[in-house]
Amino acid sequence: MSWEPLADPAWAWAPFEPSAAQPWDLRQAGHLYRRAAFGATRAQLDQALAAGPQRAIDALLEPAADVAAFNRSADTYEAAAASGASTHELRAWWLRRMIETPHPLLERMTLFWHGHFALSNARVRSAQLMADHVQLLRRHALGSFREMFEGVLADPAVYLGLGAQANRRARPNLPFARTLLEQFTLGAGQFTDQDIQAVARAFTGWFVFQQDLRYLEREHDSGPNRLLGRAGDWDARQVAQALLQQPATARRLVRQLYRWLIAEEDPPADAFLEPLAVELARDYQIGRVVETMLRSNAFFSPLAYRQRVKSPVEFAIGLVRSLGATVGTTQLGAALADLGQDLYQPPTVAGWAGHRYWLNRFTVLGRVQLAHTLLATSKGPNGPWDAALAVGPQDRPTAAVPQLLADLFLEGDLAEASQQALLAGAMSAGADAAQRQPDGLIECAARLVATPEYQLS
Amino acid sequence: MPIRRRDFLKISLGGSTLLALSSPLGESLSQSAEPPAPQRHDRDTVLVLLQLSGGNDGLNTVVPFEDDLYHRSRPTLRLAAQRLHKLDAQLGFHPDAPAFGRLYHEGQLSVLQGVGYPDSDRNHDGAMRDWHTARPGLALCPTGWVGGAIDHVYDAADRDLPAVFVGSTPTPFNLQTEKAVVPAIRSLSDWGLAQSTADARPLPSRKRPARSAAAALPSQTHPLLALAQHITRRAWASAARLEAVVAEGRRANPVEYPPFGLAGTLQTVAQLIRANLGIRIFAAEFGGGGIGGFDTHANQAANHGALLRQLSESIVAFVADLRRDRLLDRVLLVTFSEFGRTVAENGRRGTDHGAAAPLFLVGGKLKGGLIGSHPSLSDLDGGGLKFQTDFRRVYATLLDHWLGFDSLAILGERFEPVDFLESI
Repeated sequence: MSWEPLADPAWAWAPFEPSAAQPWDLRQAGHLYRRAAFGATRAQLDQALAAGPQRAIDALLEPAADVAAFNRSADTYEAAAASGASTHELRAWWLRRMIETPHPLLERMTLFWHGHFALSNARVRSAQLMADHVQLLRRHALGSFREMFEGVLADPAVYLGLGAQANRRARPNLPFARTLLEQFTLGAGQFTDQDIQAVARAFTGWFVFQQDLRYLEREHDSGPNRLLGRAGDWDARQVAQALLQQPATARRLVRQLYRWLIAEEDPPADAFLEPLAVELARDYQIGRVVETMLRSNAFFSPLAYRQRVKSPVEFAIGLVRSLGATVGTTQLGAALADLGQDLYQPPTVAGWAGHRYWLNRFTVLGRVQLAHTLLATSKGPNGPWDAALAVGPQDRPTAAVPQLLADLFLEGDLAEASQQALLAGAMSAGADAAQRQPDGLIECAARLVATPEYQLS
Repeated sequence: MPIRRRDFLKISLGGSTLLALSSPLGESLSQSAEPPAPQRHDRDTVLVLLQLSGGNDGLNTVVPFEDDLYHRSRPTLRLAAQRLHKLDAQLGFHPDAPAFGRLYHEGQLSVLQGVGYPDSDRNHDGAMRDWHTARPGLALCPTGWVGGAIDHVYDAADRDLPAVFVGSTPTPFNLQTEKAVVPAIRSLSDWGLAQSTADARPLPSRKRPARSAAAALPSQTHPLLALAQHITRRAWASAARLEAVVAEGRRANPVEYPPFGLAGTLQTVAQLIRANLGIRIFAAEFGGGGIGGFDTHANQAANHGALLRQLSESIVAFVADLRRDRLLDRVLLVTFSEFGRTVAENGRRGTDHGAAAPLFLVGGKLKGGLIGSHPSLSDLDGGGLKFQTDFRRVYATLLDHWLGFDSLAILGERFEPVDFLESI
């Protein structure tokens, strides 16, 4: 996607001002909520439209609600689920947190970091350690990457997950060192085999005993060691500092954030991201870079618009949140795993590949099935969820509801001919099935979220 | 103008609930819906990979009845020669696997003897991990060998996903990919068809209503949307094909499958093959989930016999089903298990974890017969049989010569092929 004005990075990252060509409208409000939250209800979209883009972003960055109180109560539920080797219960509680949180951007960023560090319970085999790990990510998700990274290096789960529970002097762990360099910080092509050796040596002495991280001086291989061209007697802490001093680390993080918040298609040139990388490298404050991205001209440009594929979690949580509804999350967790996104269990150390890999013939059919289940079982505050109530004023004619649902889910992105064909069939098919109008509306909603357009964020 | 619902079907894909689905394609898309024909640059051969979980006792599956050591090593478990289904003057199939005998003599079953690997693991998890990754001893290998094949050939825009797992147990690690999402298909058997497919007519063409095109997302300038449309189109075409196959199966005289879980799984595989969706590898599992599986440490005889009966009869029905539709020449089924068992029985009328064991190959394009000789019962590997053929040679043969994939790229090493296919 090339768009002339974006050739200038300074303009691209400057705050967005609506114009005749790029108005602040329902589509842009929907776009903002897909990226900075997990979708929005109609009422939230209307509020955002009235507030204007920058004030809408203020509210997403600093929600008015008591986020700390919400998370404290969510932590309590999670703690009760964090026992044993399986993370299935934990997974259900995280999904519930995503559905109910007053600070969806924080959960979305926590999910981002979970994909970045990509720790899997397939190896950790402890719900408690995985809960602690994700809690660490949540604590710093919009804060300091430096603190998060130091926390990660002090997290026993990380060592267990990477098969590095015994870093003996005689057996420095090269795969662990490679993951630190390639996935956590510098990125591929930014280090040598010698750097891998040096990092592995620097971490000798660290062991996990009974889920605790311990340091055994006698197992540490001290002495001169060359890392990134510098000689020294490196230990783990010094390695962490050296890695954060490398511009490549900030560049890689910004590139990953760009993929998460702006576009998976068409990776941009380094020069385009450089202003943000320089900004991040100053003090590794993540929130500030996230804010710059969300407020930017680039964010509200065709470069970004529906240029990501919704992950299964984004698809499902987005649907439920946009309806202002809630659903049982135990089954949902399993269904999302089937669609390729098993929370607490990313496939490899590279995290979820995402993008076009989310979609294939089978996952597309699976998403439709999941949407049916979610729509049929979702609940509102006072009993079964009602499509008619979800879309706004209660005095509008029933016949208008399908159109209102289409506006809520797709904001005019579906060609009108397609939309008519979908909705006309849906109402009659639903009515045939049960002679009851709610089924027709559920059918409408299911067809809308099964469209190719809806799979894109 | 009333638009008919294109189709109305139930599918169980990655969930336990069966639900009515309807096409999400708007008019423009459903008009151009294309059937998923086999893709030109692919072969159309199919591999069915059947995992026997727990460590199958190869020695009581293919029995060297002329070997005294066999009878001496197994005072209670030995199988008498007259009850066996003979392959030749030395070897016979287990009494409960007459179906294997028939297939063998018809040339549709080959026995690959003494398959294993060096320094084989004796623990279930470690050994199965080795068979799944094809990287023995590399405990942290992040992907399975089939998963590696999937990531190697799959391309969302151009090639359909080449492999699926069929069954209700957790997906085995051999399908673990780095990138692609591999589905677990539980069943297609309970499709409620509210309307026959004959009712699903192409939508009548009509003029597009005049409207500002600016509002809709234009797929011409949005490659990601074009891709999502392409995949959605293929998804619905695939669903329609499956629906047609299931409907057709009800009308025609279906081949009777025995009432075993494995038979149901293989019937689903046959339906998926018949629907011609471009799936090249089907993985399935038998015997997993604890008690009653192939891990026969105690009172083995009845349990093992029941498993072999289910295995052989399910496979025979599968072969008959494919043969009826002249599909057998495209299909090759291969069994594997994490290890064989000890030659000597233990004190509990069972056997313990061993090493090498035979693999069974079933299909229409096999050389047939026995491949390799029976491993010695006296020259053992920790109480189990020594391997003669490294299992990675089998994988490489399947990849290069059966599927037409590049084994070097997938397995990371070149392995000498094993000569079991009709025309290598």
